[in-house]
Amino acid sequence: MSDSQPTKHNVFFAIATDLHFWIPLAVLLGGLVLLDRLR
Amino acid sequence: MNTPVKEVQTAAVPATSSSPNRLRSLQSLGIFCGFAAGAWLGGAEAPIKLVNPDISPITVSLIMVCGVFLARWSVPAFVRGTSHVRNDVRQAPHLVVWAILAGCMWAVANTLTVYAIRNVGLSIAFPLWNSNSLLGILWGVLLFKELHYAGWKRWLGVLGGAICMFAGATLLAIASSQQAAPGKATLGVLAALGAGILWGTMYIPYRKAYLTGMNPLSFVTFFTIGELATMTILALGYRGRIPLWHELISARDVLFWLMLGGFVWVIGDLFQQYATKYVGISRGIPLSNTNQLWGLMWGILVFNELHGAHGSVYAQVAGGSFLMALGAVAIALSSATDREHSSWQDAAEREGKRYRIESEYVSAGLEGRAYGNYETRRTLLDWFLIIGTTGLFVALAVVARFPHVSLNLSWAVALTAALLALLGTCGLVLWRTTRFR
Repeated sequence: MSDSQPTKHNVFFAIATDLHFWIPLAVLLGGLVLLDRLR
Repeated sequence: MNTPVKEVQTAAVPATSSSPNRLRSLQSLGIFCGFAAGAWLGGAEAPIKLVNPDISPITVSLIMVCGVFLARWSVPAFVRGTSHVRNDVRQAPHLVVWAILAGCMWAVANTLTVYAIRNVGLSIAFPLWNSNSLLGILWGVLLFKELHYAGWKRWLGVLGGAICMFAGATLLAIASSQQAAPGKATLGVLAALGAGILWGTMYIPYRKAYLTGMNPLSFVTFFTIGELATMTILALGYRGRIPLWHELISARDVLFWLMLGGFVWVIGDLFQQYATKYVGISRGIPLSNTNQLWGLMWGILVFNELHGAHGSVYAQVAGGSFLMALGAVAIALSSATDREHSSWQDAAEREGKRYRIESEYVSAGLEGRAYGNYETRRTLLDWFLIIGTTGLFVALAVVARFPHVSLNLSWAVALTAALLALLGTCGLVLWRTTRFR
């Protein structure tokens, strides 16, 4: 694997530091909380 | 058992294809896919209408998602072979996480719609969650530079078209509503809005994937893992292990119809994914929301819904359909300019740098052309998926019972022929233009 190819570590780091990732994750968690209230 | 896929990976599309002509043909392709998506997503409602309403909605969703899961693995295996999926994951492994996240969001949103319909009825719930396309436009503009340098006419076309479709959807939902008794109204409205927000935000992972060159056929295989896992956990949590099992056993004679609904839905969703890839979420999502129009056509023409209804109901249907069609045409005519497309490429470059993806892979994906010189073959796994899924559907069809429902067979045949014609034509154009990339 060359240096430019993504490794498991830097893939997770790139995701964790990507603001775009936290928007859907926060919305998903909100949806789960709402679903729990509706039960 | 290795059989060569009938595809030549190299010279399918010229490597220097980022010409204005190429971009225009990809835009037209995306718009065509958006309309085909609407037809197939709407058609998915037909098999579900044949099912006894006594089965719990959560169980109905779970069975449909099982059909969806099988389709999402067997269709890509049939069309291109799963070795393409491995190649894509090697190039852009981060998209596995994004796809699973999107699948989880879909399952939660779908479950919320059940509660929304139960508490406020379809007429209020449907337009609320259909607002997802407006949120999709917002995310497209804010995060992925869609509609940048588009000019006011295109802004008006896309935003005005989406609002027009939203108004049309509201009228259609009111007309097709069964006047369900409103119960816990606030909770129902919250559930519908929650579903709309989840679906609207789910398009962030979609756009993320396609800007970085992933093939829709690869994305959906991981998407469905999140979908099935979340739906199974929700069904087990809500129904309990033993009651769920008993319900599944007692529903065995309708399993075929529900899973067929899931399968049809996947075809529509695949077209939606290609639309998102080639025209972005701000245009692709509103176009595929024409599914409501097709669902209504199946309801009125095939299942004799609204039979004997008051004239005002038919006026609402005609008005709503006209508004939806008008909005869809406005969006279809507002394709991205070369300048807007260059700002998409800026967003793609940003994504490529962040996730260390080869720029040639990203640009090849955006332009729907081949990357590298992979010789791919269908593997034993592909044949197992194709034959296994076909066998399972045949077995379920054998034990299935055709319910006693009043149907207009002539219209059923006509609408099915229209769906197949769209599948054949759009599939052929996709193949000729991008080889399903």
